[in-house]
Amino acid sequence: MADPTPTPGATNDDPHGIRKDLDKPGQLVVVFLAVLGLALVNIFGSTAMGPGKFTLPFQLAVGSAQATLVGYHFMHLKNGDKVVLLTALSSIFWMGILFVLFLGDYMTRHMIVD
Amino acid sequence: MSIAAPQGAPAAAPVPPEPGPLPVNYLNNGHSIWSWLFTVDHKRIGILYLVSISIFFVAGGIAAGIVRLNLLQSDGAIVSEDAYNRAFTAHGVMMLFFFLIPAVPAVFGNFFIPMMIGTKDLAFPKLNLASWYVFMLGAALAIWSVLVGGIDTGWTLYPPYSTRASQSNVIPGVLGVFISGFSSIMTGLNIMVTIHKMRAPGMTWSRLPLFVWSLYATSLIQLLATPVVAITLVLLMVERAWGVGIFDPSLGGDPLLFQHMFWFYSHPAVYIMILPGMGVISEVLTCFSRKNIFGYHAVAWSSMGIAVVGFLLWAHHMFVAGISFYAALLFSLLSMLVAVPSAIKVFNWTATLYRGSISFQAPMLFSIGFVVLFIIGGLTGLYLATLGTDIHLHDTYFVVAHFHFVMVGGMVMGYFAGLHYWWPKMTGRMYSDFWSRFAACVIVVGFFFTFIPQFVIGYHGMPRRYPNYPQEFQFFNVMSTAGAGVLGVGYLMPAVYLTLSLINGKRATANPWSATGLEWVSQSPPPIFNFDESKMPVVVCGPYEYSLGVDQMGRTLPDAPTGAPAELHEGTAADGHGPTSPAKQES
Repeated sequence: MADPTPTPGATNDDPHGIRKDLDKPGQLVVVFLAVLGLALVNIFGSTAMGPGKFTLPFQLAVGSAQATLVGYHFMHLKNGDKVVLLTALSSIFWMGILFVLFLGDYMTRHMIVD
Repeated sequence: MSIAAPQGAPAAAPVPPEPGPLPVNYLNNGHSIWSWLFTVDHKRIGILYLVSISIFFVAGGIAAGIVRLNLLQSDGAIVSEDAYNRAFTAHGVMMLFFFLIPAVPAVFGNFFIPMMIGTKDLAFPKLNLASWYVFMLGAALAIWSVLVGGIDTGWTLYPPYSTRASQSNVIPGVLGVFISGFSSIMTGLNIMVTIHKMRAPGMTWSRLPLFVWSLYATSLIQLLATPVVAITLVLLMVERAWGVGIFDPSLGGDPLLFQHMFWFYSHPAVYIMILPGMGVISEVLTCFSRKNIFGYHAVAWSSMGIAVVGFLLWAHHMFVAGISFYAALLFSLLSMLVAVPSAIKVFNWTATLYRGSISFQAPMLFSIGFVVLFIIGGLTGLYLATLGTDIHLHDTYFVVAHFHFVMVGGMVMGYFAGLHYWWPKMTGRMYSDFWSRFAACVIVVGFFFTFIPQFVIGYHGMPRRYPNYPQEFQFFNVMSTAGAGVLGVGYLMPAVYLTLSLINGKRATANPWSATGLEWVSQSPPPIFNFDESKMPVVVCGPYEYSLGVDQMGRTLPDAPTGAPAELHEGTAADGHGPTSPAKQES
């Protein structure tokens, strides 16, 4: 027996009500170009700055912006419910463990113990 | 945990009828090769994994045999130094990536997770089959790389040797490991979604068997950690193939970067290997001591604790590699933390055994062996987590012995415990009680003779991965090789009597161990969709109500076997249970 309850947002053209969640091709291209542009900013910015004190934070900041764009648009976090968002935030926290402990070694390696 | 009590005294199980012809089950429903190669039945896929990893276990064992035989003489007994390097690498790669990691999750997880939570299959059956094909593709590449010359880097693949100097088949071997990692991710994802979404009515999180909890924790690690090693291996191949400087200091790279990323996966991978074994032990110890598990929630959450803490301590593998002193201090402290959830498990298992009605069938003997060997392996790990002692013991045979006590003494014993515990359910056949107990004893004795001497020579400074050693270490090396021979015989014995049981083993009832889990509700071997479709299980109580004598559906358990072979397959009703007992559920 057919389910009499209509799908929220369903129309004749969109019986499952999913079209509103689909990305428009132009939007995808813009996000893609933005990610590529940030990659170029990272490469040329780092080259211009040289191996200085602020180079690593700069690179990580640009990389984080790229990851945010990919997660928000391509991985559809913009449409995610609370569980999806919680999973994403947990993954970021978990990556934080990797980076913090990892950098904890790199940034203190030069310190000599008497 | 809510429990249900049977109303009135449980009635005695009726005298069983003689088993008739085997009803339709997952094994006899199609005999062609295609019915196996294109199956999406989680049980058949579990069997495919079982056959595959058994082959890789033998292959890795042969490589170990070459290593041990070569160490009979202080200058190398049978192979060249180069061949020796390739032999221990083949042993490590085969055993770790193609046996230990998939052993319990892919075989018993595939087979029993849906049954234990009361559902028909895993959430993604086709993904499940795909995971086996991906695994086999990766394994085929790795085996090919071994057969056409091998890899000489050790299973850890440290650059710059692996990217610059090694003249062996690094790229195909690494590619094989890389590909098989996707299989691990697929299996972990499938198990995790299944546990979340497909539990039977009444199967709350507090009623999940501890094996399911342990597989859930394992899946978490598989999902989070495996992609990191995949990226690392790709970078390794890029550097080796095209000379892009990532890890090689002569190209501007940093070899410690590889070690950080490699161990960020590979240390948690140790818990991918051991946690499922711990889950098996929790099932077996309760069943064969006829007692409810002591500290259910503590054991369940300690699995999650191990999964989380396991991510915080990878750099204890790098104490002498040149990492920062302060980072080393921190990682030493964090490494101690994992002892807490591990000890919680051991204490609760011991408390479960206390005043239990213990019987010593083969699964129980393997499980007791697990607990004993794991305690030794765990305690010796403390020496390696301690910064000062690790500097003395690092890269010696002490590490080899510690690692094997945990992985072989722990995980492989857990694997054999699970294999013997669930074999009657998987095949519908009972194996030889005498030979299985004997094999458990032989394996434990062989194990001690193999690895205790390695603690001694390691403490006295014999480095691992060296084909030559000073003359004074020969006595211990000969003892270790002799023990490995005994161990090898012990491992061959189950291959023989389990295979024979398929031919002439007595028919197993549905519940030959009088266990409480849902997997014992259905016939042995199980039907295609695990349960009679008209009687899908409804859970009314916790997973280990041995004191009440009821299974998770509130039905009276059959009499527990005492170990006599006749009692192992007779003495219960055809469905393995006494009469259904009305259950009273407490909130």
